[in-house]
Amino acid sequence: MDHILSVLVFFPAVAGLLGFVVSKESIRAYGISVAAIEFFLSLWLWFSFDGSYPGMQFVEVLPLIPSFGISYYLGVDGISLFIVILSTFITLIGLIALSIEKDVKNMIVSLLFLEMTMVGVFVSLDAILFYVFWELSLVPMLYIIGAWGGELRVYAAIKFFLYTFAGSLIMLVGMLVMAYLYYQATGVWSFSITEWHRLILPMNYQIWLFIAFFIGLAIKVPMFPFHTWLPYAHGQAPTIGSVILAAVLLKMGTYGLVRLPLPMFPDASVYMIYPVAVLSLIMIIYTAMVAYAQKDMKQVIAYSSVSHMGVIVLGTFAMNPEGITGSVFFMLSHGIVSGALFMLVGVIYDRRHTKLMSEFGGLAKAMPRYATIMGIMVMASVGLPLTMSFVGEFLSLAGFYQISHTMTILAGSSIILGAVYMLSLYKKSFFGDVVHEKNKKLKDLDGKESMALWTLVLVTVWLGVYPKPVLEPINTSVESLVSFMHKKAMTDEAKSVIRPTVIKREAE
Amino acid sequence: MITLSHYLILSAILFCIGLYGVYRRKNLLLLLFSTEILLNAANVGFAAISKFYGDLTGQMFAFFIVAVAASEVAVGLGLMIVWYKRRGTLDIDTLQSMHG
Amino acid sequence: MEHMETYLYIALFAPLVGSLFASLFADKPKMLVTGIGTSTLLFVSWVSSVVLLMHVYHGDVVHVKMMDWIHAGGLYIPFGFVVDQVSATMMFVVTTVSTVVHVYSIGYMDHDRSFNRFFAWLSAFVFSMMVLVMSDNFAGLFIGWEGVGLCSWALIGFWYERESASWAANEAFIMNRIADLGMLIGIFLVYWNFGSLQYDVVFAQVDGMDATILMMTTAFLFIGAMGKSAQFPLHTWLADAMEGPTPVSALIHAATMVTAGVYLVIRANPLYSLVPEVSYFVACLGAFVAIFAASMALVNRDLKRIIAYSTLSQLGYMFVAAGLGAYWVALFHLMTHAFFKALLFLGAGNVMHAMDDELDIFKMGGLSKKMKWTMIMMTLASLALAGIYPFAGFFSKDKILEVAFAGDHYILWAILWFTAGLTAFYSFRLVMLVFFGEERYKIFGFHPHEAYRYMLFAMSPLAILAVIAGFFEHDFIHLVSYALPIEEYEVSHTVFWILVVITQGIALGGIALAVYKYSHGGFSKKWEETFIYKLLFNQYYIPKIYDEYICKPYAEISTIMWKDFDLKIVDATVDFIATSIYKSGMASRVVQSGNLSNMLRWMGVGLLILLVAAILYSPVR
Repeated sequence: MDHILSVLVFFPAVAGLLGFVVSKESIRAYGISVAAIEFFLSLWLWFSFDGSYPGMQFVEVLPLIPSFGISYYLGVDGISLFIVILSTFITLIGLIALSIEKDVKNMIVSLLFLEMTMVGVFVSLDAILFYVFWELSLVPMLYIIGAWGGELRVYAAIKFFLYTFAGSLIMLVGMLVMAYLYYQATGVWSFSITEWHRLILPMNYQIWLFIAFFIGLAIKVPMFPFHTWLPYAHGQAPTIGSVILAAVLLKMGTYGLVRLPLPMFPDASVYMIYPVAVLSLIMIIYTAMVAYAQKDMKQVIAYSSVSHMGVIVLGTFAMNPEGITGSVFFMLSHGIVSGALFMLVGVIYDRRHTKLMSEFGGLAKAMPRYATIMGIMVMASVGLPLTMSFVGEFLSLAGFYQISHTMTILAGSSIILGAVYMLSLYKKSFFGDVVHEKNKKLKDLDGKESMALWTLVLVTVWLGVYPKPVLEPINTSVESLVSFMHKKAMTDEAKSVIRPTVIKREAE
Repeated sequence: MITLSHYLILSAILFCIGLYGVYRRKNLLLLLFSTEILLNAANVGFAAISKFYGDLTGQMFAFFIVAVAASEVAVGLGLMIVWYKRRGTLDIDTLQSMHG
Repeated sequence: MEHMETYLYIALFAPLVGSLFASLFADKPKMLVTGIGTSTLLFVSWVSSVVLLMHVYHGDVVHVKMMDWIHAGGLYIPFGFVVDQVSATMMFVVTTVSTVVHVYSIGYMDHDRSFNRFFAWLSAFVFSMMVLVMSDNFAGLFIGWEGVGLCSWALIGFWYERESASWAANEAFIMNRIADLGMLIGIFLVYWNFGSLQYDVVFAQVDGMDATILMMTTAFLFIGAMGKSAQFPLHTWLADAMEGPTPVSALIHAATMVTAGVYLVIRANPLYSLVPEVSYFVACLGAFVAIFAASMALVNRDLKRIIAYSTLSQLGYMFVAAGLGAYWVALFHLMTHAFFKALLFLGAGNVMHAMDDELDIFKMGGLSKKMKWTMIMMTLASLALAGIYPFAGFFSKDKILEVAFAGDHYILWAILWFTAGLTAFYSFRLVMLVFFGEERYKIFGFHPHEAYRYMLFAMSPLAILAVIAGFFEHDFIHLVSYALPIEEYEVSHTVFWILVVITQGIALGGIALAVYKYSHGGFSKKWEETFIYKLLFNQYYIPKIYDEYICKPYAEISTIMWKDFDLKIVDATVDFIATSIYKSGMASRVVQSGNLSNMLRWMGVGLLILLVAAILYSPVR
């Protein structure tokens, strides 16, 4: 399979198109099987991936517009591999748990199309290709929010679309300038990201380009103060939309940070550590407080996911292997955990058609199995050891500790504030007595919900106890990335901050 | 002695007359006439500058414009006749069907 | 050597197996097999722990690396477990108390709807605690640390229908999290300065390490210990944690989890012994908490809260010992305390059972007739707690006082000495009010009865240990001398005897006062009007202060942040940009009216602008 990546990218879209001719009764089974095949393909990718090789693997290059150096250039390394698997995994889980009855065919087709764009973003190594997939991913999401959403769905969908679109246009300008600068330096046009990595730019160019890329990515993350589209999008989106949005689409932003500005502009990145870290800190603490004030379960989780993304950004800007590996791993765990949490809220929403915490109370009695899974996921979200989140959060914070002690202490408050809002959510909805008559007869999880959710629980615990198979390939790629940045950095400050190996490994 | 400036001034005067006509007239037919004057103002300028530089391109353009103007008149008059037959007026303020 | 590893794994994982087994039936109605199964597995774990204790008695250490956990950059954390003399002692304490508590709980939770769930969590707690004490690195300790926090949350909130229980559970978890942040920062400091989290690697490098770094590390680690061991100002959760079932209070909030902080300081003794400032602070805080908590116990009317405050006070004693460098004394007191305090709580559980979960000791009295064995065991435990010879508490507590005196810390000694008197008084105030005097329960219509035989039987090992544990002092010193510094305290023979006599004196005095007062109708009602009584009864108003000045403002600020800042400023700015673009479009769309004359005028204006621009910006002048 030489073209495994192309297959991974386009299989869901082609299968999605074919889905139009599938009858309405069997479309669910069709969607699930397509997603399952895609997931197994991505697993196959993992098994044939060489974890000890840090560079790009399964590379495919095909010139598209040679005069401008635009090509169809795909490849994965340890950093992107698992996010690709996360995308296919979450799509599969989402499809299994899909509870929508209205226009189910359109939903499944758009999900499969969305899957193509997600995988595409993570495997593209050509800036234009990356940008195309990046923008295309907005379309199915716009449709999903706009067609299946709540009352304010049109407002939310348009806000989501325009906001992220505006940001990515700024990024596009940055890309064009970057390509022009590359042309000036080498005399050849190229949009290849790996080629761009090798270009050394003067400081002032670096800073401006960094800002251009950063704004585009930050809106997607979403970083404070660009985060306000997210609560609306989550609040209005159907469950499946929120799951994919939180689990995968947000990761595009943080993945982009690792892939684009960091290796391209190491000096500017070091220069911008403090501004970015301050934004992340605000994001962590402020959104955690806002999350506590929410009355709607889904909004709590939406704001909590902003807060956690702050830790991811912070870990990325630790500029050492511990921090970046941690943040990449945290992306995965956040994907699984927040995806599961949104799915869990979806379960109760399907039954009661409300997400207000005041409507519930005593759910632990009415729905014990549901309460168990929610409890596990709440604890995972809080970052309890032996769940996936802990590994990521611990490494991210440990990494950033090298940059700044005080800031890490402040950022560490996320483990306190996270417990505050998550436990108060759990207490309000699950503890206490069953007050509302309607809640007494709620049905516990059914088969497909249990299957989807228990899978997520298993992954959370498995990778919390034994993260090695995932952590190792990530770490290999990240270490080479960091030492590359170290070599590339021009200023002494950057060289001293970007430390590839601070501490020699003692074991093995 | 008639110099280039004289031609250009003539062209400018013609242009202003045409422009004034375009602004003041409400009748579509007269508007068309004014446009013709504008075009011919440009023609005079082209021809004069072409002579001044000894470059035939300008005069060539002038012929082009004459040809275009002729066909324009043909099409424009045809349209206007149709319009007049339908609406019974050629006042341009009555042409409006959009509301902004 | 090989089979020692097997014992280690059995000791560690037997509780986990039990927990998983019980959790399979968590939402099923009561099944006796879950209780018996987990208790049996706990007993197996206890046997293995005892075998390991025997093994390490002569200086051997069992150290295994099970598998890798986190490995990123230079950070390498395996799941490694070590059984040395300190952890073997802890394992012995944990498994002993938890086996007893498990068996006891079969009776105590007899009628509970969630019998199976209880045992699942209880065994999970024991597993976490074993991880905590057996880990060979700080990260593994942290796993156990958070694990016991989780189980404590679930068990305090076990009766989640009760608002107060779920509130107390969250309070405990969140307050512990505050401290855990300190612990986490301490771990980061260890990693970035020592390059590893393994105890042996870290402790091998402490000499020559920068003093400030050591100070920060120990200080942050101690913040973690303060949360788990409920030291001031993070102490309020412990009293509220009494909302949980009483066996939980016995196991978690008296014998094991709350001593984790002490264990951490003992474990990190190579660090602490190099930083006298922090150590002295630890000792001072310990002494303060000892008297502070004891004073609150004096007036409380709640059976379990009194015992909780006494736990707090005893933890203070342990920290004094640890802070003064007498780590083995701290560990010794930890052990004896675990036995008699768990016994006291289980006795309280019997009383509660008899009194239909009534906790007010002023509604009891004269129960000794109905509950003879409970009375005997609680009195034994109280004597041990008061530090009366020859009970276990005497040996350990007296040693702490001796250490304080020998180290010339006379103020600390005086505080502890006085606290010993208070301890004796409130312990016997409780015993007197519950078991002796007027039978007030009759007024309230209770029909007390003695607990099941096997519950009493299950408690008996603790009763025996509470009596005799002190006599193993020399064996204990021999055991821990392999792992901890044993210092001889320079007190002359005469001074030693004087100390013993006056300490016994104040303890006996406290008991005598309590017995005399409460057999003669107690204190007058006027006492309850005084300021001091109100201050003590309201726990120095600290919970109120926390509620008023931390919880409520936090909730208010959060709401303001959301409604006023996020929606009205951040989001409004975004919407403002969008609407201003939209409005400018609305405003300028009149231009596109389709009116030919207007359009011609616009064309003229455009022409003019372009002409002017062309003239202004023409390259040739």
